[in-house]
Order: sequence, then C-alpha cells, then structure tokens
Amino acid sequence: MTISTRRPLRLVPVFAIGTLLGAAADALAQSCAMCGSGLSDDPLGRAISWSILFLMAAPYTIVGTVALSLVWIHRRAAGRRRAASIDLARLQPAAAGEPSGGGLS
Amino acid sequence: METGSIVVPRRVVPFARPEQAPAVSNARLAMIVLIAGESMLFAGLIGAYLVFRLAARNWPPPDLPRLPLGLTAVNSVMLLASIIPLSRALRAARRYDRRRLARSVGQTALLGGAFLFVQGIEWVRLVRHGLTLASGTYGATFYVLIGCHGVHVLAAVTWLAVTALLARRGAFTAGRQAPLEMCAIYWYFVCGLWLVLFPLVYLS
Repeated sequence: MTISTRRPLRLVPVFAIGTLLGAAADALAQSCAMCGSGLSDDPLGRAISWSILFLMAAPYTIVGTVALSLVWIHRRAAGRRRAASIDLARLQPAAAGEPSGGGLS
Repeated sequence: METGSIVVPRRVVPFARPEQAPAVSNARLAMIVLIAGESMLFAGLIGAYLVFRLAARNWPPPDLPRLPLGLTAVNSVMLLASIIPLSRALRAARRYDRRRLARSVGQTALLGGAFLFVQGIEWVRLVRHGLTLASGTYGATFYVLIGCHGVHVLAAVTWLAVTALLARRGAFTAGRQAPLEMCAIYWYFVCGLWLVLFPLVYLS
C-alpha cells in the first residue's frame, strides 16, 4: 500500500484562497489599519477601502494567471515531447527491421 | 596579379526541431506581458470607478440620462459574436486555406467596426441628452472607462484589417502565423474585457 505524501500539499492553495476570501468579508473590508480607523464609517471610506482591496488583488491575480498559464503551457509541451519520443521509440524497431528498398549497394 | 572574388560561405540557419522549440514563443510572451500591462491599466480605471460608484448616494445622478442598456446589450452580443469568425480563421490558417482565412478575419474586423459604430451613435445621443465628460464623476468615469476600451477596440480592429489584407496576399504560410495568433489573442482580450466592463458600468 502506498501513501501519497503530495495530497496534503494540494490543499494548501485551497486553504490560502479560503482564508483570503474570508478576510475580504464585508465586515473586514478594510484595506489597512489607517483606512480602517479613519475612513470606514462613511460611504466614501468604504468605497476607498473596497477600491484599495480590488487594486491590491489585481496584480496578484494577473501575475498568478500569467504564471499558471505559463506552467500549463510548459507542462503541455513537455507532455507532447514525451509522447513524440515514445512514438519514435515504437517506430524505431519496426523501421530497423524493414528492408531498405530502392537503395543501391 | 590576378584579382578574384572572395567566396563567402553562406551561413545556413537550421530550422528548430519541434522538440527544441521553446514552449512559449517570444511573440506570445510579449503579448502576455502587453496584456498584463493593459489589464493593470484597466484595473486602475476600474478601481477609480469603484470609488465614485460606491461612494455615490444616487447612481446615476437623477438629472443625468440613463445609459442605453438594450442597445448596448445587442452591441455586446455583436462584439462577442466576432469571436466565432476569428476562431474559424484560426482553423483556416491551420489548414492553409487562404481565402477562408482572409474572409473570416475580415468578418471579425467588420463586426468590431460595427460595435464601434453603434457605440459612437450611443455616445452622440448621450452627449445630446447632456451626459458629457464634464458632467460630474458619472460622465467622467463612464467616458474614460468605456472610451479607453473603445480605443483598444479601434486599435484591434485596425490590426485585424491589416491582418485580413496580409492574409489575402498569402502572408501567413506555414511557420509564419505568429502575427495572426497575436492579433487573435489581442482580440480575445478586448472581448473578454468587455465582459467585465459591461456588467460593471451598465448593469450595476
């Protein structure tokens, strides 16, 4: 019986995203201590807090998306390369056994 | 003394084999960086819009005209429908079908141009009804955000038109399709951006 040691690590991003979403709940939507203490009561303060939260999340989202897409493209390319090499390995013995038809000795 | 020509050996650049080619081409990487930068530009504009939108007690202000939702919804469908001929164009490029490629890219450019035309009509009507860039934060944020997207659509439509002309001349042969792919990626970005902006500005 084999026990996978990688599975708990897969849950780390899920917990991280859950924590971030929880922290961004309505009552906690204060982007920093200063904004939270100075601006949170009036609509403008809340608007600025939400806007700062959005702008804080934007670069992480964009860079994260780019990084994930690059990882995905690289993995797909590696998979294709592997598949091509397996095909070549299958073809080579067959090609070696074939007569060289048409070749002049 | 006899003079003769010097024979310079011709440098032969070998083609990169598929297994040696990078997974992400330089052109695609540059386009990803460009789109990331553009996304940050729009994130800043959306952030500014959110400040004004959430801080306002009445949005839109009672003395200013409402945005034409029905017309813009139809216009949005037209913009999103332009993805279909573009996908057809990419398939035609893979089959080296020059005519279909040029026609499909041209159709995408036409749909994009029609989107811009309808948006122009909408803007003229709004200005006539009193919604200008100077009519408070409502007008300013609307024209800056939607106008910035419109400029991007205009750039993308111009790019599509040039790409259609090049496709008609047979510029996109095997191994030379990167400009077409970059144009398509940019158009997908412009359409995807509208999927964010339309609900944010018109539906909220």
